[in-house]
Amino acid sequence: MEKAYNVSSPPGFCVDVNEKGTSGTYVTQPLSQGTAEAAARISKHVSRDETGCSDSRESGEAGEDIGRSTVLVTDSPSGGTVSNCVIPEPGCDSATNGFTGSTMVGAKAGNSSAIAAVNREEMDGNALQGISLAEKNKESSAEEVNACYPPLNFVTAAETVESLTHSCNGQLELSCTAASRTVPEGLSNWDTDSVIQSTLSSDAVIRPPINWSMTPDKEAKMANGGLFIGHSSAKLHTETVVTIILDGAATCLSNTQCEKPSSIAMSAREGHHESCNIRVEPDGAGAQPRTQANVAGDLSGGATSNLTSQGLPSSPAPTKDPCRVSAKPGTIQGEEPSASGHLGDDLSSRPHPQALRTRTVPNSLSYDSSTILSPGDEDGETFVELGAQGHSDLRFMDVSLSSRNTFESSRRLSAPGDIPEGLSVISEDPSELALQSKRPGIAEYFGRSLFPKKQREPKGPSQNVPGWKLFGKVPARESAPKDSRTIQQEFEARVGKAGPGGTSAGTSPTQPQQGRRKNLEFEPLSTTALILEDRPANLPAKSVEEAQRHRQEYDEMVAEAKKRELKEAQRKRKEMKERFKLEESIANAMVVWNNDILPNWENTRNTRRVRELWWQGLPPNVRGKVWSLAIGNELNITPELYEIFLSRAKERWRSFSETGSETEADDGASLADRESSLDLIKLDISRTFPPLFIFQKGGPYHDLLHSVLGAYTCYRPDVGYVQGMSFIAAVLILNLEEADAFIAFANLLNKPCQLAFFRVDHDLMLKYFAAFEVFFEENLPRLFNHFQSSNLTPDLYLIDWIFTLYSKSLPLDVACRVWDVFCRDGEEFLFRTGLGILRLYEDVLLQMDFIRSAQFLTRLPEDIGSDRLFACIAAAPMLNGNKKWSQVFHALIKDNKDMDRNCNPALKSL
Amino acid sequence: MEAIWLYQFRLIVIGDSTVGKSCLIRRFTEGRFAQVSDPTVGVDFFSRLVEIEPGKRIKLQIWDTAGQERFRSITRAYYRNSVGGLLLFDITNRRSFQNVHDWLEEARSHVQPHSIVFLLVGHKCDLEPQRQVTRQEAEKLAGAYGMRYVETSARDAINVEHAFTELTRDIFQLVRGGDITIQEGWEGVKSGFVPNVVHSSEEVTKSDRRCLC
Repeated sequence: MEKAYNVSSPPGFCVDVNEKGTSGTYVTQPLSQGTAEAAARISKHVSRDETGCSDSRESGEAGEDIGRSTVLVTDSPSGGTVSNCVIPEPGCDSATNGFTGSTMVGAKAGNSSAIAAVNREEMDGNALQGISLAEKNKESSAEEVNACYPPLNFVTAAETVESLTHSCNGQLELSCTAASRTVPEGLSNWDTDSVIQSTLSSDAVIRPPINWSMTPDKEAKMANGGLFIGHSSAKLHTETVVTIILDGAATCLSNTQCEKPSSIAMSAREGHHESCNIRVEPDGAGAQPRTQANVAGDLSGGATSNLTSQGLPSSPAPTKDPCRVSAKPGTIQGEEPSASGHLGDDLSSRPHPQALRTRTVPNSLSYDSSTILSPGDEDGETFVELGAQGHSDLRFMDVSLSSRNTFESSRRLSAPGDIPEGLSVISEDPSELALQSKRPGIAEYFGRSLFPKKQREPKGPSQNVPGWKLFGKVPARESAPKDSRTIQQEFEARVGKAGPGGTSAGTSPTQPQQGRRKNLEFEPLSTTALILEDRPANLPAKSVEEAQRHRQEYDEMVAEAKKRELKEAQRKRKEMKERFKLEESIANAMVVWNNDILPNWENTRNTRRVRELWWQGLPPNVRGKVWSLAIGNELNITPELYEIFLSRAKERWRSFSETGSETEADDGASLADRESSLDLIKLDISRTFPPLFIFQKGGPYHDLLHSVLGAYTCYRPDVGYVQGMSFIAAVLILNLEEADAFIAFANLLNKPCQLAFFRVDHDLMLKYFAAFEVFFEENLPRLFNHFQSSNLTPDLYLIDWIFTLYSKSLPLDVACRVWDVFCRDGEEFLFRTGLGILRLYEDVLLQMDFIRSAQFLTRLPEDIGSDRLFACIAAAPMLNGNKKWSQVFHALIKDNKDMDRNCNPALKSL
Repeated sequence: MEAIWLYQFRLIVIGDSTVGKSCLIRRFTEGRFAQVSDPTVGVDFFSRLVEIEPGKRIKLQIWDTAGQERFRSITRAYYRNSVGGLLLFDITNRRSFQNVHDWLEEARSHVQPHSIVFLLVGHKCDLEPQRQVTRQEAEKLAGAYGMRYVETSARDAINVEHAFTELTRDIFQLVRGGDITIQEGWEGVKSGFVPNVVHSSEEVTKSDRRCLC
C-alpha cells in the first residue's frame, strides 16, 4: 500500500502560482517549504534556472492573449506528466501550445470560451512551463478575479470542473485504452483533465481507474496523486490557479457531502464509496467547504481509501488501509480538518467567503506551497513520502506514454455545450448568493463527473470541438471526431466488460485504424505524429503485403519509441528523485536554520551540529544572512555610511564624465589609476558572470554592482578597485540586499588574506602560497612533485582562485558552497578548497604537462560537482604534522622576517 | 602525445587592461571572438602550434596577463621566463599607447638577465573611426625600440595570425642564429621532439645572449 502514496509525484506540487509572476514554481517547492518566504525564494531560483521565459511564452501562446483567464495547472499523479489547462476569457481562440506533444483544446461557451490546454510532457519541462503560464495568466487575471472576488474564482473553478468532468468522461474511455497496459496511464490523463477543475471532476476521473484498473497498487498511486491535486485545487480557488484533482480529492469531496467531516480517517476510507454516492447527492454544496477541508485531511486518507477501494469501485465498504496509509491521514487529521486543513481552508473559503478573502489577500506565492504544506512538519513529510514513492513507481512511464489520449480527452472536455452554465454563473455574482445558486450546478457536476460512464455519456464532446492536432490546428471535422471515435473504440474494445463505457460515445463507427491501435497498449508520445494513414483515395491502394509491411514497420517504430521513452522516463524519474531529495533536505535545513540556529546565532554557531549542517551547504534563502553574520561587521559600517560613499562615488563619476579623460596625463599616475579603475569597474561589470545576463548593462543588477564597487573605491581608496572584486561583489549581491552586500563586501575584503591579495602585497602573497605548498606536499606528494618538476607554481592558479574566492573558476553553486564554509572556517578553507580541487583531479593532472595543467587549473571543468569536490576537500585535512594552517602560516612569516636578507624567500621554507 | 614540435616558445602578452589581450589570444588559439570574456585575474594560459616553415612547427605557450596596474607586481615575475612578448595597446585609447613605454621599461627591468623579443600590436583596428593613435606614430615608437608593429583586430580576425607568426619567426631566427639559447632553468625556449627533420646546425649552442629589446 505504500505505493499508494507514490502517485503523488512531486511535480504535482508545482502548481504554485506566483503572483509576482517572476518565477516558475518548483515541483518540489511546496514540499520542502514550510514558509511562504521560502517558496518565493525558491521559485526565484527556479525561475532563474529552469523556467525559461521563452518556455512560458511558447506554451502560453494562447494564455498570453487571454486578458483574464483562469489557469489550471495540473500535475498528473504519475509525476511524469504535467498538464496545463488554460481557460481563457471569452472570445479567445484556442491556440496550440508550442510544446511538442501538447494539445490545446478550446471550446466556446455561451458567455465565454474556455480553452483547455493540456500539455503532456515530462515533469520537468511541463511543470515549469505550466507554472510560468499560470503565473502569467495569474498576474493579469488571477489577481483581479481571485483577489477581488474569491467567490467568483471558486465558481470559475467549479465551472471549469464541469468542463473537466466532461473531459474526464472522455478520458475514461481513453484510459480504458491504456488500461490493459497500465492503469496509471489512464489515471494520469484523468488527473490532468480533472486537475483543471476542482475536486469534482476528479471523482469522475478516478473512478474509471477503479473500476477498470487491474492493479491495486497503481490505483493507489492514482489516489495519492489525487490527494495532491486536491491540494492544488484548493489553491486554485484562492488564487485562480487550479490544480489537479485526484481520487483522493474526489473522495474528500464525497465525504464532505456526506458530511462526515469530523472523522477524517473514516471519511477517507468511506469516502470512496461515498464518492459514488455523491452523484446522488447534489446538495453537497453546503457541505462542500467542509468537504474540502476534509479533503486536505483526507489527502492522505483519501488516497488510502482509494487504494483500498481500488478493486471495489462500487462497494461501499473499503478495505482497511495499510498501516502506512492510515498513519498519514492521521497526521493530517491531527490538524483540524475543517479549519486548519490547508486545502481545507482554501476550499472552505467557498462557504465562508471571509475566510477566502483572508487567504486571498496574501496572494503571495507562498500561498501555494507553503500554505498548503506548511501546517506542520508532518504534512511536509507526508508529501515527501508520497512524492518519493511516486518516483519509484513504474507507473510514471505509462503515464507519459498515454499523453496523447489525454489530449483527446481534453478536447472533449472543452466541448462548448457543457461549459456555458458554469461560466455564466461566474459572471454573475461574486457574492455568496451566487455561490449558493451555483451549488446545485456544482452538484450537477458532481453527478456528471462521478458517474460519467454509467449515468450519462459525456455530451458528445468530440463533435463540437474544433479539431486539434498535435502540431497545429486542423479543420475541426476532419480530425477531431475521428480521433475521439478511435479512442472510444479502443476503450470499448478493451474495457468492453466495463459496460458503462460502451454506452458512451461508443456508437461511432469502427475505423480501420482501430485494429492496429488496439494492439498497442499505448502510443509513445514521440510517435503521435506517426499516425498511419490510409492511402489517399486518388492513389492506387496498397497491396496487402505492402500494407502489412507498413503496419509492421509502424509497429516497430512505435515499439522502438516506446522503449526509448521508457528509458528516458526512467532517467527522468531518477533525476527527479534526486532533485526531490535535494529539495527536501534543503527545505529541512532551512527550517532548522531559520528556527533554531539564526535566532540563537552566537550560541549555536560553533556547535558541532551547526558546523556540520553548515558544511552541508547553506539553504539559499538563509545563505545571505548567515554570510553576513559570519563575516561580521568589524568595520561598523552602517547603511547610512554606504549611502554617503555611494553618493561620493556618483559625484566622482559625474566629474569624470564631465572632464573626460584629458586630465589624466597631467595629474600623474595616481589619478590616472583611479580614473582607470572607475573605467575599469564599468568594463568589468559587464564581464562579471556574463552567462547570467544580470550584471550586464541593462541587466537588473548592473547598477547595483556598479554602486557597490564604486562606493567601495571611495570607502577604501587605498585598496581601490582590483579586478576580481566584481565577482565577489556580484556573489554577495546575489545573496544580500544592497547595503548588506556592501557591508559584507567591505568587511570581507578587510580580512588579512583578502587585504594581502587585493593590495597585491606580493611578499605576503608568497607566504600564503608557501603555506599552501606545505599542505599540498603533505596531502598530495605525487602531484606536488609532478608540479615541481614542471615548474608549475601555485601562484599560477591560486591567484585567480583566491582573488575571486572561486566564484570565477567554479560553477556558481559550487562556489557558493565554498563560500559557505569559507565563512565558517576563514581563509584556511580557501586553500583547503584548492587542495580539494587538486585532489579531485589528481589523476588527470598527473598526466599533463605544464601548459595543460595550467590551462586546466585556470579553467576548471564546468561539470565539477559540489559533492565530489567536498568529499575531496574533506579528505584534505589542513594539518602539517600537528600544526594547523595558521601556525604554519605564521611560522612562515616569522621565518621570512628572520631570513629577510636571504634574497630568496623560498616558497618552501619549511 | 601532441603533435611534434621543434621548439616551444613561451610568449607573454602584456598591455593595459581592456586593450583586448585575451580576445586576441583567443582568436589566435581558439579561432573565435568572444564578445564578453572574463577579466583576467593573474594569468591565463593558452597554447598553439605554429608552422613557420613547412615541417617546422613551434609550440607557443602563451601567457595572458592581467592588465590592471595593480597586478604588475604579480605579472612582472613572469617576464623572466618568456622569450617573446606581444605588447598591446588599443588604437582607440590613447592612454594605452602612452603606457607602452612604461610596459617596456617594466619588462626590461625584470627580464634580466634574459631578454624578450617584443612585438608592438595596435589592437582593435576594426574601430578605425575611433582611432586615437595613428599608424605612423605607432610605427615610429616601435622603431625606436627595435620592435615590429602590427595592427590587428580580434573581432574581424585581421592580422592575428600574422602577428603571432611574425613574432615566432623572428624568435626562431634568433634561436637558429644562436642569439637565443636554450638554458637549463629557463623556460623561454625549449627544444621539443624532433621528427626526422635534422636541425643539428640549428641546435643550440652556448653563446652569449644579447638584449634584443
